[in-house]
Amino acid sequence: MLEQLLNEIRAGGTLETGKLAARLGTTPQLIEAMLEHLQRAGLVEPYINCVDGCQGCGLREACQTRGDTTVRLWQSKPEG
Amino acid sequence: MSDLPIPTAPAAPLIIQEKIPLIALAGQPNVGKSTLFNLLTGLNQHVGNWPGKTVERREGTFTFEDHSYNLVDLPGTYSLTANSPEEVIAREFILREQPDVVVAVVNASNLERSLYLVAELVALPTPIVVAMNMIDVAAQEGIRVEPEVLEAALGVPVVPVTATRSSGVQDLMHILEETLGGKRRRKPNLPEIRSDHREVLAEILRQIDGLVPSPYPANWVALKLLEGDAEITRTMQDALSQEKWAAVQGVLRQHDDALLAIASGRYEWIGRMVRAAVIQPKIGQITLTKRLDDWATHPFWGLVILAGILGFVFWLTFTVGSPVQNWLDTQVVGGLSQLASNALVNAPFWLKGLVVNGILDGAGAVLTFLPIMVIFFAVFGLLEDMGYMARAAYVMDNLMHLMGLHGKSFLPLFLGFGCNVPAIMGTRVIDSKPARMLTILIAPLVPCTARMAVVAFLAPAFFGPKALIVSWGLVLFSLIMLVLSGSVLNRLIFKGQRSAFIMEMPLYHIPNARTIGLLVWQRSLSFVKKAGTYILAMAVVIWALSVLPNGNLTSSYLVQFGKFVEPVGRWMGLDWRLTVALIASFPAKENAIATMGVLFGSSPNAGLAQTLTSTFSTASALSFLVATMLFIPCMATVAAIRQETNSWGWTLLDIGIFLLITIAASSGVYHLALVLGA
Repeated sequence: MLEQLLNEIRAGGTLETGKLAARLGTTPQLIEAMLEHLQRAGLVEPYINCVDGCQGCGLREACQTRGDTTVRLWQSKPEG
Repeated sequence: MSDLPIPTAPAAPLIIQEKIPLIALAGQPNVGKSTLFNLLTGLNQHVGNWPGKTVERREGTFTFEDHSYNLVDLPGTYSLTANSPEEVIAREFILREQPDVVVAVVNASNLERSLYLVAELVALPTPIVVAMNMIDVAAQEGIRVEPEVLEAALGVPVVPVTATRSSGVQDLMHILEETLGGKRRRKPNLPEIRSDHREVLAEILRQIDGLVPSPYPANWVALKLLEGDAEITRTMQDALSQEKWAAVQGVLRQHDDALLAIASGRYEWIGRMVRAAVIQPKIGQITLTKRLDDWATHPFWGLVILAGILGFVFWLTFTVGSPVQNWLDTQVVGGLSQLASNALVNAPFWLKGLVVNGILDGAGAVLTFLPIMVIFFAVFGLLEDMGYMARAAYVMDNLMHLMGLHGKSFLPLFLGFGCNVPAIMGTRVIDSKPARMLTILIAPLVPCTARMAVVAFLAPAFFGPKALIVSWGLVLFSLIMLVLSGSVLNRLIFKGQRSAFIMEMPLYHIPNARTIGLLVWQRSLSFVKKAGTYILAMAVVIWALSVLPNGNLTSSYLVQFGKFVEPVGRWMGLDWRLTVALIASFPAKENAIATMGVLFGSSPNAGLAQTLTSTFSTASALSFLVATMLFIPCMATVAAIRQETNSWGWTLLDIGIFLLITIAASSGVYHLALVLGA
């Protein structure tokens, strides 16, 4: 399942955890857990470079943390 | 400053007593492990450091129904692979100290995340009991976990607890006693690795059979070798002969994808456990979000909805905002101008000109489009608050990918819809310097709120009932220019490289009127402040230039400058006044309106909008609007470009590019409109 997720990520494009979950036949929470695993393995990285904070950002709702260290936006890291 | 001694790393357990059972608490960070530890041990605990590490070590003793127990709170870990000192400590403790039982604390509201560690723990020989904490949080989120089903699926005892309320702890202790007393049969269901890697695992096992140093189980060591665990690899390299190690290495080299295969097997196992034991909420917010997202994030319908929303914003602006703006323009600004003219009839000409033409007609004209801005702020605030903007980013990013624009460029660009400055700053996420530079160069092509507001002000004046379609077309035109530039960028710099951007959509929720009200208030206040400072100052400067040096407009510096640049303006169908208004929009986009206000004025009979309608042809009006959308970005954005590129050369190049694009596109649109008879 993790390999399938990685294949989806390597294919590129915009991905959404809910749609990925439906495609892989699992729950969005498991996709998030796997993304965090891939993050620890250095294969994806959190999108946290919002230098000016969230003020005025239309994506604030999507990426704000939930009171812990959960990062809710990720991007693939260049291979190599 | 505290006088407490600094804890030092103890060589041996501090208060653990021999001959009484040793229980270890394991779990991921933030699952309530420490709360459970404190609850059980109370004051009978000691905090120090693990030997040779700066990781906190917590251990204590407690008594339950006349039996005493040692309890160790292991560091929070996500797995038992040696990725961090915490993970090494936790697994070495379990393997070397061999606690009588390990309590795996999991978060019931997010079992998917918590069970990975359990998947590793069940593979060890130590008995485990799962303490399913945060049952209350799960219930609040509408998630129901069936402990009996999870227990049957895992093959190890599962006890629901809520450590923060001391609930379920007695049950946990009874199960622990039964486990310690051997009354619970241990028959865990173990995760399996993918079938094509099972043979590899068996081969590794054959190679290391009988050579694994104590206390490590051979099966576990074989798995860790396949996972590439650095510590275990080192240990086995020391333990095996050179030939044996070379043979093991040979197998490992051929299967460097085993790490993913093993982790994948564990996630398959977690998926099975969750499917069996967790009942996700069927009704309410999550289902509603899913239903709405079937449309809102659909590759085609999502774009239609987004275009519809944009059209709705313009429609609302023209239907509600424009009449109010028109009323403010003619009745308030026009009326005040008339009043001031009458009151200052005997005042020096410069004072009357400054108040009437500079302040009221200039900055006043900008203030009249506050209703338009309020509508923009309110609608976008509403969309943000209800969680739609993340969907807009998703469908737009999808479209951009189809057109070849690189994903990493897109998110910063999306931020530009509010203001180009954060878009420029957001490009810091792009690793490649040339790619980042080029993304910075094209970011100002994203129409910001100020530009859209100027268009929303001018389009109804120039185009009447066709304003909606013209405004829509202008935004689309800007985006096409952006995508064309992005495609060139992608081919030249990224060379077609694919990257992924993964989003987790927030749940839709009912927007909060107070939050939106506050947002509209803050942004409107900021706009009014801007109008009262920068724009006012600019309007006064424009007015001063229009009367200096001798009080006559026709021989003023402004007209001289306007006549100087007019030949370029003529290519685009703009007279000197429109050309000057366009240039004046450099400090802030709204200055275009302020400048027009100074040059054309307002009166109760005809506001600025009416004057513009009767003065310019459709072709010139369209050309001016295109130029407004594409012209050199505002001064704040240029400053951000200078700061982020750290180069005046790049900054000036960007200004030059935008000038060229503006002249080329506006001239093209103007002449095309003339050909079409506009």
